[in-house]
Amino acid sequence: MMEDAELDLSPVHSDQNSPSPSISISSSPSLSLPSTPSSSCGPPQATTPPLGVINEGVAELSLVIDAEVAQRACQEVLQKVKLCQVDSDSTLSQSEEGPDAPPSDPEGPAPGSVKSARRRQRHNPSKQSWLLRLFESKLFDVSMAISYLHNSKEPGVQAYIGNRLFSFPHEEVDFYLPQLLNMYIHMDEDVGDAIKPYVVHRCRQSISFSLQCAWLLGAYSSDMHISTQRHSRGTKLRKLILSDELKPAGPRVRRDPLALTPFCPAAPPIVSPGPLGGDHSLSPTKRTHQRSKSDATVSISLSSNLKRTASNPKVETSQDEDCSSSSDSLEFDSRPPVRLAPQREFIKSLMGIGKRLATLPTKEQKTQRLISELSLLNHKLPARVWLPTSAFDHHVVRVPHTQAVVLNSKDKAPYLIYVEVLECENFETSSVPIRIPENRIRSTRSVENLPDCGMTPEQRAGSFSVVPNYDNDDEAWSVDDIGELQVELPETHTNSCDNISQFSVDSITSLESKEPVFIAAGDIRRRLSEQLAQAPTTFKRDPEDPSAVALKEPWEEKVRRIREGSPYGHLPTWRLLSVIVKCGDDLRQELLAFQVLRQLQSIWEQERVPLWIKPYKILVLSADSGMIEPVVNAVSLHQVKKQSQLSLLDYFLQEHGAPTTEAFLTAQRNFVQSCAGYSLICYLLQVKDRHNGNILLDAEGHIIHIDFGFILSSSPRNLGFETSAFKLTAEFVDVMGGPDGDMFNYYKMLMLQGLIAARKHMERVLQIVEIMQQGSQLPCFHGSSTMRGLKERFHMSLTEEQLQLLIDQLVDGSMRSLTTKLYDGFQYLTNGIM
Amino acid sequence: MSQVEKKAGLLRRTSSSKKPLKEKVVLMYDEIFAKEDPAKNNPRFWDELFLMKVNLEYLESKLESVDGEDVQRIQDNINSLFHHCVQALGEEHQIKVVNALQTLCALFRGVHQKNKSASGFDIINMLMGFDKAEQRMKDLMERLDSLLCGDSSESLKSLCLKLLLCLVTVTDNISQNTILEYVMINSIFEAILQILSDASSRGQHGYDAVVLLALLVNYRKYESVNPYIVKLSIVDDEPTLDGMGMVVHQALTEYNRQYKDKEEENQGGFFSTLTSMVGSMFIADADEKLSVQTNEAILLALYEAVHLNRNFITVLAQSHPEIDIAATPTTTTPTTPTTPLGTTPPSLDMMSNPELPLDPNLQTSNLLITFLKYASIVMQDTKDEHRLNSARLCLIILTCIAEDQYADAFLHDDNMNFRVSLHRMPMRHRKKAVDKNIPSRPLVCAVLDLMVEFIVTHMMKDFPMDLYLRCVQIIHKLLCYQKKCRIRLHYTWRELWSALINLLKFLLSNETTLLAKHNIFHLALLVVNLFNMFITYGDTFLPTSNSYDELYYEIVRMHQVFDNLYCMVLRVSTNTGQWKEAASKVTHALVNVRAIINHFNPKIESYAAVNHISQLSEDQVLEVVRSNYDTLTLKLQDGLDQFERYSEQPKEAAFFKELVRSISLNVRKNVSLNTLSQDVLLKEFSTIS
Repeated sequence: MMEDAELDLSPVHSDQNSPSPSISISSSPSLSLPSTPSSSCGPPQATTPPLGVINEGVAELSLVIDAEVAQRACQEVLQKVKLCQVDSDSTLSQSEEGPDAPPSDPEGPAPGSVKSARRRQRHNPSKQSWLLRLFESKLFDVSMAISYLHNSKEPGVQAYIGNRLFSFPHEEVDFYLPQLLNMYIHMDEDVGDAIKPYVVHRCRQSISFSLQCAWLLGAYSSDMHISTQRHSRGTKLRKLILSDELKPAGPRVRRDPLALTPFCPAAPPIVSPGPLGGDHSLSPTKRTHQRSKSDATVSISLSSNLKRTASNPKVETSQDEDCSSSSDSLEFDSRPPVRLAPQREFIKSLMGIGKRLATLPTKEQKTQRLISELSLLNHKLPARVWLPTSAFDHHVVRVPHTQAVVLNSKDKAPYLIYVEVLECENFETSSVPIRIPENRIRSTRSVENLPDCGMTPEQRAGSFSVVPNYDNDDEAWSVDDIGELQVELPETHTNSCDNISQFSVDSITSLESKEPVFIAAGDIRRRLSEQLAQAPTTFKRDPEDPSAVALKEPWEEKVRRIREGSPYGHLPTWRLLSVIVKCGDDLRQELLAFQVLRQLQSIWEQERVPLWIKPYKILVLSADSGMIEPVVNAVSLHQVKKQSQLSLLDYFLQEHGAPTTEAFLTAQRNFVQSCAGYSLICYLLQVKDRHNGNILLDAEGHIIHIDFGFILSSSPRNLGFETSAFKLTAEFVDVMGGPDGDMFNYYKMLMLQGLIAARKHMERVLQIVEIMQQGSQLPCFHGSSTMRGLKERFHMSLTEEQLQLLIDQLVDGSMRSLTTKLYDGFQYLTNGIM
Repeated sequence: MSQVEKKAGLLRRTSSSKKPLKEKVVLMYDEIFAKEDPAKNNPRFWDELFLMKVNLEYLESKLESVDGEDVQRIQDNINSLFHHCVQALGEEHQIKVVNALQTLCALFRGVHQKNKSASGFDIINMLMGFDKAEQRMKDLMERLDSLLCGDSSESLKSLCLKLLLCLVTVTDNISQNTILEYVMINSIFEAILQILSDASSRGQHGYDAVVLLALLVNYRKYESVNPYIVKLSIVDDEPTLDGMGMVVHQALTEYNRQYKDKEEENQGGFFSTLTSMVGSMFIADADEKLSVQTNEAILLALYEAVHLNRNFITVLAQSHPEIDIAATPTTTTPTTPTTPLGTTPPSLDMMSNPELPLDPNLQTSNLLITFLKYASIVMQDTKDEHRLNSARLCLIILTCIAEDQYADAFLHDDNMNFRVSLHRMPMRHRKKAVDKNIPSRPLVCAVLDLMVEFIVTHMMKDFPMDLYLRCVQIIHKLLCYQKKCRIRLHYTWRELWSALINLLKFLLSNETTLLAKHNIFHLALLVVNLFNMFITYGDTFLPTSNSYDELYYEIVRMHQVFDNLYCMVLRVSTNTGQWKEAASKVTHALVNVRAIINHFNPKIESYAAVNHISQLSEDQVLEVVRSNYDTLTLKLQDGLDQFERYSEQPKEAAFFKELVRSISLNVRKNVSLNTLSQDVLLKEFSTIS
């Protein structure tokens, strides 16, 4: 029905433009250049999103094309497609003409006589013309575009879609960036040529997109043979991007004459003090200069003079940069072509740390080394660097190095760092925050915390704040000391019953100090054991597993704690992020899994099935390094068991309360919903290596599977052991209330609904995987049946009743496989059904 | 020039003869010490003079030999010489600059040597003339400043620093060096900072710069406003502060390394077995051998930085890779071990290399750890005056650190665990700990270990009361922080308790001898109050409930010490005497300890009687303790968690005056301009010109 609406317009175009001499060009791949300002191409069609935002440069010619031109280019390609169509049709004679010509169109013989007449006029409205209508329809989304780009052999179609990419929202296309780039690398020239203008255009616009592309191109080119790799398109494009030639087109950016780089924030068009306003609140003094390249370079020449007035903030920064350029290999800010350099250096140094850590033998040494390396890294911050896994624009200002932990791994050294950032409007144009020295916390803290420095209930006789200061040294610098430090009270203290008595003790002593005050030794002892018991949920520090404690600490608490200790903590735009740095691990499979999870998540959301999964962001930096966004407030089941020495159910009871409480029931529901989600994922993707270290439990009771190192066709070497469809241990079932409970049935019901929903949108999932299989040596694509197997697991042919049976078998099999490890029933039954 | 060379050649040839020909430069000196204006006959006299190689000995001895009345006569010429020296510093010709610097040095030294008793004003008059002094010194300082900050040769910069060190240390008491008044007005502080902030210049001159700064800060510290103090206190530039920390770190590491080397030298072989057999006599001998000259100058710099600059505290925790012997085999020049104040700072390349080297065996370290190790060595033996001063200064620095909130935060940071292997004194009754298995713990544990170690190893006739007081106060400050922040440190408190009880025991048994010299009641009061902290506030910072039981166990077990202490203080406080008040304070402080003893002792006895056990095991006693808390009432004491903040003045002023004097002497002795041999310079500059 949609098509009807569209149909009126597009054929008109085709008619109008049919005499344009584009047939000859249509075979040439570079046809997207608008050589002919093709006439009256009407206003943007309602179907295609407005192209007004696009200002693109096509190909390497740094030719600037504005919205209309892009629009025109689209149109033109469209014409060519149609002309091609007509052309080929005409040569093919009209044999195909007939009433069955539009086979898939139910409304073929539409009532509109004009339309049908036109259709007939074009002899054969075969598949291509339907395509055309589809392309212009509202339904045509990125997913379809990618799919057609991949499947279509027609250069015209590919070129059209290449242009159409411009009209999709950036975020939507970004999701398919791995697919796009993989196609660019591994598929034939036409596809590459179709994609390239878009990629180049986006690279010009955004540093972060440039880097993403460069990293992905590097990673996905790595499977090629080394000789072909060097000359491959992917490598060339990567070089082009990294050469930093893809700058935003000249006339668009008003350049500061002083600025050596286009990203000097000296003349950012965004001056509006937005809701964030962070950049403005940053500078303690009203600085007219921003910390930028121009400043730095100017000040370097002056440094000999400037350096000598150390406490001037402006000089500080210059000195900072000066140092980094003179003595360190780590130059976040330096020489002119710095558009990408700071971030690349930042990432490089993080990777360097990982490599060096791997050489150390013990966890403890690794941890120490990590901390000291990071503290060095801190000297180079803040800089125009950011965490690509984050959802908002920001600048990294500090790495609280003492919080970093080395994660458990045998031979590699993945580590988790927390990163303090200041949110900003646009990390490319907003000015980089100035450095605040580490020990500034003290001054900021004492000012900030003034309101709540009232009486603490814990204060006993002789309040602490009266530490006599006998110092007559006139030491302005020794104002604060332990005496003025504020106690960070655990919240639980307020309900401790003897606080009241303690409080009264305070008042008594302050009133009549002559009268001796007595306390019972038993009270002290009791308080001690009570307070020790009050914090049962913190894990004990274990030098062999340093991450357990760090991960167990509630995120909110950690944020508060780090914020308090940070010199930047008082800024309103301060945020804490965390990231896992992996060095020596291939994260491409993880990325694939992330995409599939994301896709399924949105499918389930769309179909309103309450399955819960948590895809965590993956950043592939190369074929053997990358970053992972950690799941906050979650510890692995292994750590839970080791630390608590409880069964999972008991742990739930301990953390959330008795089985009838609201808190427990909520946690249980969360558990069930997440179990159902991940059970399906594990089944569909054949996720293996599901030991307890790879399953996290978050504070709300959700389980989260991590480590998708073995999916699809790959499984760990001890294969055959993990034959069950997914991991469902007796403990899991216990938490759900046993195999006969309502929650367990709910679990199975959720799985069924989830599978039905997934099945409905199977293509969206398959497509992600299929494209990535292209040219890939990843173990998950090993063998030839990967796609077929995946497809089969969606069981398109089964009825819902059969599906229900299947789910029952899967669940049953998984439950039994842990006792019998046999797993025969499922095999038999599924095979039988199929 | 050719003439000069000829002369020099002649000199060399005839050097064996009895009457050597005088060098030309000596002749020129003689001219200066004549009445006439030397430039009168030879207008290019001054130009030529600075082309000549300086003869320091001759010039200095000449200055010294000038008689009282001659002074007036030649003052004009000396003023003129000084003036031209300063001018020559601005010359492009580097050799002239070098010669001028050295001549100035000789002038300062010679004039002071001659006029030890003279007032500073006379000296200034003699050198520069009153009316011109201000301008001359201003010029001099500006020239030096630009030499230090400019891109002149490194040797030249080094020479500038030497000149400054020489100037600063010409008098024994730095505060009597009136010329420094001009150095105060014309500050070279910024130049020093610049040297420290840059990695390469820090490597070469950092040591001298830091020592110079430490000395300048101590000029008339208590009498007037010293701009260096003010400036140092507000430095907040991290690279610079880091640089300063790095220099101190290097120097202390070097010391630790040398000590370790010597220790290893002395170990093994029959000597060590002999010492262990024969005992203390030989141990003393071994100690003698082990002593490496301490380095108070660098420690003073550390103190000033920690004390004056709050930003410096972060530097303490800044990690560096530990400089091991293995890591720097090539850089240790043979001269350094003997002259810690000499010219070559240790291991240049490590300092200039900000990237951590990739060595898996390298433990990361930081300034604080290095400092603690250093302190543990220095504190071992406090007989020698230098070491006593060093130990005292170490404890003062630790006091400052313990008072600082930021420092306390990282000392107690659970995420920053380190293995700190402290040096322990070899003693007869204990084996030298095999410190391979020190657990990795927060740094504060190492500080506490060090304090405990000190307490148990210094109970001797010549009782270092002052050090003990500082030591106990440091522990107290740390406990206050823990109580305040509710930090439950997993530390074996028992060791501390028993060390403290033993200390009380020692005080008791040596009461008469000690009382002749010290107020032992003050120390006893502090110790008892530490126990009171544990007793009344234990719930806020003890790690386990058992540790509270153990505290009671320990007190009950050692009740005799407390009983005796009580008897003693009661006796003294009832008599009239100078200690009456001090002693009565201790009696009051003991109230809770006595309550505990009086409460539990009968309980334990009756438990033993009921169960017919003669000797109760620890567990049994603990059981009794646990079941009888509720009937015990304690008295809340005021002000247990208050302490007197450290302040340098007036208490420590005398110590620092003396310390600076001794450092000055040492620096003066070691600043030898000859170390920078002229040959090196000439070689360097001949290529330039």
